[in-house]
Amino acid sequence: MKQIPFLKPRLVGARFEENAIPLEFLKDLAVLEEMVIEVAKWKFLHEHPTRQRVPRGFTEGIALKLTGVEEGSAIPAIDLFAESDSLFPPDNVIYFKKARDSIIDAIEAATQNQSITDHIPEKTFGYFDRIGRSLRDEEAIEFSVQDRPSPTRLTKETRRKLVLASTKIKEFAEETSVIGAIPEADQDNMTFEIMINGQKVEAPMAIQHAEVILDAFNKYKMDFRLQLQGVGIFSRQGKLQKFESIEHISLLDPLDVAARLDELRCLRDGWFEGKGIAPEEKELDWLLSVFKQFYPGDLPLPFLYPTVEGGIQAEWSLDPYEISLEIDLGEHKGDWHRLDTLNDKDEDRVLNLENAQDWQWLVEQIKQIAEGAA
Amino acid sequence: MTKDTLLLRQVSPSWVQQGHVTSQLFSPTPKDQKKLSVYDGDQISAENAWKHYNGALGFDSVGVMAVSVGECETHYLPAVADPAPFPEHVVIDFSAFAGNRIKSKAKKLQMAAISRGWLYQSVDTV
Repeated sequence: MKQIPFLKPRLVGARFEENAIPLEFLKDLAVLEEMVIEVAKWKFLHEHPTRQRVPRGFTEGIALKLTGVEEGSAIPAIDLFAESDSLFPPDNVIYFKKARDSIIDAIEAATQNQSITDHIPEKTFGYFDRIGRSLRDEEAIEFSVQDRPSPTRLTKETRRKLVLASTKIKEFAEETSVIGAIPEADQDNMTFEIMINGQKVEAPMAIQHAEVILDAFNKYKMDFRLQLQGVGIFSRQGKLQKFESIEHISLLDPLDVAARLDELRCLRDGWFEGKGIAPEEKELDWLLSVFKQFYPGDLPLPFLYPTVEGGIQAEWSLDPYEISLEIDLGEHKGDWHRLDTLNDKDEDRVLNLENAQDWQWLVEQIKQIAEGAA
Repeated sequence: MTKDTLLLRQVSPSWVQQGHVTSQLFSPTPKDQKKLSVYDGDQISAENAWKHYNGALGFDSVGVMAVSVGECETHYLPAVADPAPFPEHVVIDFSAFAGNRIKSKAKKLQMAAISRGWLYQSVDTV
C-alpha cells in the first residue's frame, strides 16, 4: 500500500480555530473521495477517447484518508492510499492527482465566473451539493495551488454557483437554521411542518425529536416556537422547500429576541394605518448583534415592538416599573424611560447603543429591578 | 360620553406580542398632533368598531382594547368627540403634555386597558 500526500485544504472560520475540525464538518469532506474517483475516471477517458471504459481495477484499493490535522486554522492532511505491488505508485495515481487539480480549477472558475465545464464534466457538479454543505457565512475551504498567488476558496456562495451551474439540478441542499411554530405533525408518516413567517415547510420527525415536536405542536396556538438546525432543500431561487434532515432542535423563550426580530423583518412600509415605516433588515441585524453581545441571557427579555417611524421599542413590565427603550435604528441610540407606577415618578436617559458602558448601565438597571433591589 | 364610556382602541398585529400590547397603543404618533384616535364605545360595539376599522378604513387590527373616559381624565387627558372622519370618532387629547409625560400617561392607560382585557379579538388570533 502506498501512502501519497494528496491534499491539505485550509479551513477558515471561527469553527476551525485552535486547529480543530468539528466532527459535523467531516461529512462535508467525506464525499471528496467519491468525486475524485469520478473525475479521475472522466480524465482517463478524456485522454483515451477511443476507450469505452477505464481499465479493470482502475479504482480498486484507492482511498482518501484523513491522516492528521495540521496547524493554521485547521488544515486536514488528506493522503491518497493506493494498492501497489511495486516500489512505485500505480499508474492510475496520476489521474487522481489530475482529478484533484481539476476540481480545484473548477472552484476557481466558479469564483471567477468562468466556464466550469472546462475543468470537470457537468454530471459531477452535483457532488458540490454535499462538499462543504455546512459551510457558514464567513467560512471557506482554501486550496493552495502552486503558481497561483492566492488560494482558491470554496465558500457558501461559490458552492451554490457550482451546484446550480448544472441545468439538471433543480434544487440544492444547504445547512440552515430557522425559527418557527409547529402547526402540523403526522405521527404515522413521522413528518411535521414548521411555519416560518407564514410559509409551511415539511421536515422529517426523527424519534429523538418527536417528544419536543409534538409538545410544540400541542402548544401551537400559544405561539410556542422552536429553532431547527438541519439540512434544508432550496429551490434554485434560494427558497427553502423542505428539510432533508434535522440535526438539532432548541426550545425558544417566548420572548426570544432573534425570533421576534425575524417576525418584524416581514413588515412592509405602510404596516400601521398606511404610514408605518418598516425597520431596515440590516439594522435589525445590528440590533440582534448588539443585544447578543451586551444583554445577558439570564435577565428578563423585553417585549419588542416596531415604532411607526421605523424603529423598535423594547418594553419590560417589571412590577412596579414599566420600562421602555425606544430604539432609533438609524442613529443607534435609545430613549430609556422608566415609570414607577406606584408614585408616577419617571426617569429618562438617552443611551448610545454602540457604547458598551451604556449597555452596562441598562443591564444594571434591569438587573436591580429584576432582583427587587431598585 | 360619561366617565364610564369606553374608548375603543384598535390593536395593530405587530403591537401585540405573546398577548401583551405595547404602551405605544395609547401614545399618539408624531403625525397625530398629540391626538389619539379611538371609537366612542357608547355609539359602537367593539366588534363593529373592529369591522369598521378593518373594512371601511382598510386598516389592520387583531382586536380591540379600551380605556374609559374617567381613566383618561384621571391623567388630565380630555376625550373629545371628533365626528369628522366618521360619527363614532373620538380623540384623546395629549396636547397639554410633551415628551416623557406622554410616555408615562400612555403607560398608565396601557395598564388600565390590560387590566380590563380584550373587548374583542379577531377569530384568527383567539
